[in-house]
Formats: sequence, structure tokens, C-alpha cells
Amino acid sequence: MSIFEKIGGEAAVNAAVDVFYRNVLMDERISHFFDSIDMASQHQKQKAFMTMAFGGPNHYTGADMRKAHAHMKLTEEHFTAVAENLIAALKELNVAQEHIDEIIAVCLSVKDDVLNVPPAA
Amino acid sequence: MTAIVFAGQSYALADGESVLDALLRAGHAIPHGCRAGVCQACLLQSDEAPPANTQRGLSSAQKSLNYFLSCQCQPPASLSAQAVDQAGQRVSGVVREKSWLNQRVLRLRIEAPLDFKAGQYVTLWQSAQLARSYSLAGSPNPQNLLELHIRHYPDGAFSAWAAEQLKVGDALDIQGPLGQCVYSAPANQALLLIGMGTGLAPLCGIVQDALAQGHSAPIQLIAAARNGADLYYLDELSALAAQHPQLGITWLAQHANQATPPAVAIGDVYTHVKTHFASLKGYQVYLCGAASFVAKMRKQCFLSGAGMADILVDSFVPFATTKT
Repeated sequence: MSIFEKIGGEAAVNAAVDVFYRNVLMDERISHFFDSIDMASQHQKQKAFMTMAFGGPNHYTGADMRKAHAHMKLTEEHFTAVAENLIAALKELNVAQEHIDEIIAVCLSVKDDVLNVPPAA
Repeated sequence: MTAIVFAGQSYALADGESVLDALLRAGHAIPHGCRAGVCQACLLQSDEAPPANTQRGLSSAQKSLNYFLSCQCQPPASLSAQAVDQAGQRVSGVVREKSWLNQRVLRLRIEAPLDFKAGQYVTLWQSAQLARSYSLAGSPNPQNLLELHIRHYPDGAFSAWAAEQLKVGDALDIQGPLGQCVYSAPANQALLLIGMGTGLAPLCGIVQDALAQGHSAPIQLIAAARNGADLYYLDELSALAAQHPQLGITWLAQHANQATPPAVAIGDVYTHVKTHFASLKGYQVYLCGAASFVAKMRKQCFLSGAGMADILVDSFVPFATTKT
């Protein structure tokens, strides 16, 4: 059973993505990345990302993550900010710590792609 | 046999094949992404109710318009589908009434056989080259009248033509209906509707629709404009509110001028909403008007607690280089 199913499937993701996106928009470290984007499509992307992070049905690949973020010149600080907002959202929704740990492990697995770190030779 | 009817042609589905894959196989360019029902890139629209599993994750407005995820769809029987927002057939309409709602807003009533939901919009064709989109004001009616509120710009290619040359009795082509800003809330959910300028037009229809469907929770309508003189329908909407205690209306202008009616409050719409609706948790919100207004207000309402799926918008986008 994936975390996606354990925490309540799509309904849980719907609740989590609103809380998470709200946190992100209010975080001065990263909110400027979202100033001129279409909120509805960004919200949908975040939902797809969270479904992936929760182990739900998805077809995300490292290449997608790399391509989507390459132009943004993201740093460690930005990645940390997003991760912190995600943890805060999950805690607010009373997701168990062991599940949060698993979700963060998935996020860390795509960190090099998001930050556009060249693949190890 | 299971089949998909698309663009007038029927395609048989192979065993276990999705509608998306069948259409791709037939050579149609259907946008798609995750193939897992998450990204919603492959949305199509049907004339009939699609299987429930193909609407998972869609908003209630999208569901009521029979949108579905083609990558998740293996219909039990033949299903018809078209690209989203190309549903719009093109029909011929006849102008039945032309009048001014204030100095700048022209009201057209056009008779045309078009099925629509209040809050949707249509594209009007002046000629083969010139078209503009306008929201439908009011609800479907037995007279088949489409009501449009057209902001007149003296140098606007379409609106100046409509104001100066279009006559009662003239025919013009209408394409639609388009858009998904339609009433779709449960009867006990509080509603907040905010229109800027002619953004009031679709909201009039949405409010009528909500009342006709027996909406019982409070409905707050804010009609905002830059100048008090730009507001219209004060008497009509006040009369509606007098009949329906759950409906409250606020008139708001950024600036006062001599023609500002006494019922109009002066103030900034963003500040007003922040002050009077500090928490929008649990609300369904409808925002209609210029794209800049809708984008800014959508963010504010979301940060005030409205769920993203509960914010419906009708955003007026300028056409090409000339504004209408």
C-alpha cells in the first residue's frame, strides 16, 4: 500500500495541495517564482507533484523535473523552502511522521534534477 | 462495441484501450501528459454524462459540463466527445434589442438557438476576420435571447462597430457557448461573487441560476467599477435582493463622481474584500472581469482560505492588439 492510499488517496492530496500552495505563496524565499504564472495550472502541477511524492499514480520522470525547473536557476535554499512548506502542510493535516519521512525521501530523490545538478559521471 | 465519436466520426476502441489512445491512433492531436488522470491535459467534453471514474479530480463546474479525462476513459457504450471549448457550434443570431446601460456599456439582446449555462461566454463574429468574446448575462430563457454587455471603446474595432453600425434586425454569427464559470455549488455553501465593470454580466446569470435552483446559503454579490457612473443594473439587482433575503449586494466604486448613485460605496475592491471577508474558508467564489483584476483577486481569495477548486473565474482577455 502506497502512502497515497494510506493517507486517504485523492481527497487527501486535494486538501494537502491547497495548504501547501498557500504556504509557498506566502514564503518570501520563493513566492516571487509564482508572481506571473497561471495559478490554476500551477495548482494542477503541484497536485501532480504531490501525487508522485505520495507514491500515487503518476508518470513523473527525473527528466521532466529537470526540464521543468532548468530555467529557474534554483538553489539549495529554494529547495529547502519548498520542502519545509511541504512538511508544514503535512503536519497541519496530521499526516504521521513516518509517512512524512517517506514523502521527503521521494522529494530528496529528485533534488539533483530540480536543482539541475549535472548527473554524476 | 465500445466506440468514441469524435469530430463526426466513430472509432472503435480496442480491448483495454482508452479514448485518448484510440484518438491518437486515429491521428487526432489530443494534448496529453501523465496518462494517469492527474495532469488533466487530455480533457475532452461530451454531450452526455461520461463514466464517473473519468471525472475524478475535476471541479464540480467541469463535471456539470460533462468534461472527462480521456486517458482514463474506456466507456461501456459508444460515447461522443469533442475538444474542450470547441463545443461551440456556430449559429446565426438576430439582434432584437440594443440599448445603453450607462454611458459606456451597450446591451445587446440577440435571438439565437444556443444551449448555454449562465456564466458562459460566446464569440461574436462581425465578419470572417473580426470576432470578439463576450460573457452571457442572464439565464437561458424561452425567447432564446442572449444578453451581452459590451463595453464601448470609441477606437475598438468591434465595440465601435456594434455601437455605431449594428442595428436591430441585423444578423450575425455566434459561436459557443464556451467557458466553465458556472453555478455548481451545493445549496448550503456560501457564495461570494465579485465583478469588475462588465464582469457583472455573467454574475447576474450565475446569481439568477443559483436562486432558481434554490440556493439557501448567503449569496454576496459585489459589483465594482472604477467610477460610480460605470455601475449599472442597480435597480434591477436591488429588486432581486428584496425578493431573496439570502442575496446581498454591494456597489463599490474606486472614485466618486457627480453621477455616482447614493447606494454606491467608495473604496478599493481588494481592501473591501479583505476587510469584510477576512476568511473565505468554505466559500465558493466567482470572479469576473479584466484578466489583471481576476489574477490579483484570485490570489487574494486563495490566501484568505478559499479552496482552489472553489474559485471560478471568467477572465476578460484583450484580443490581439486592438482592445474592444
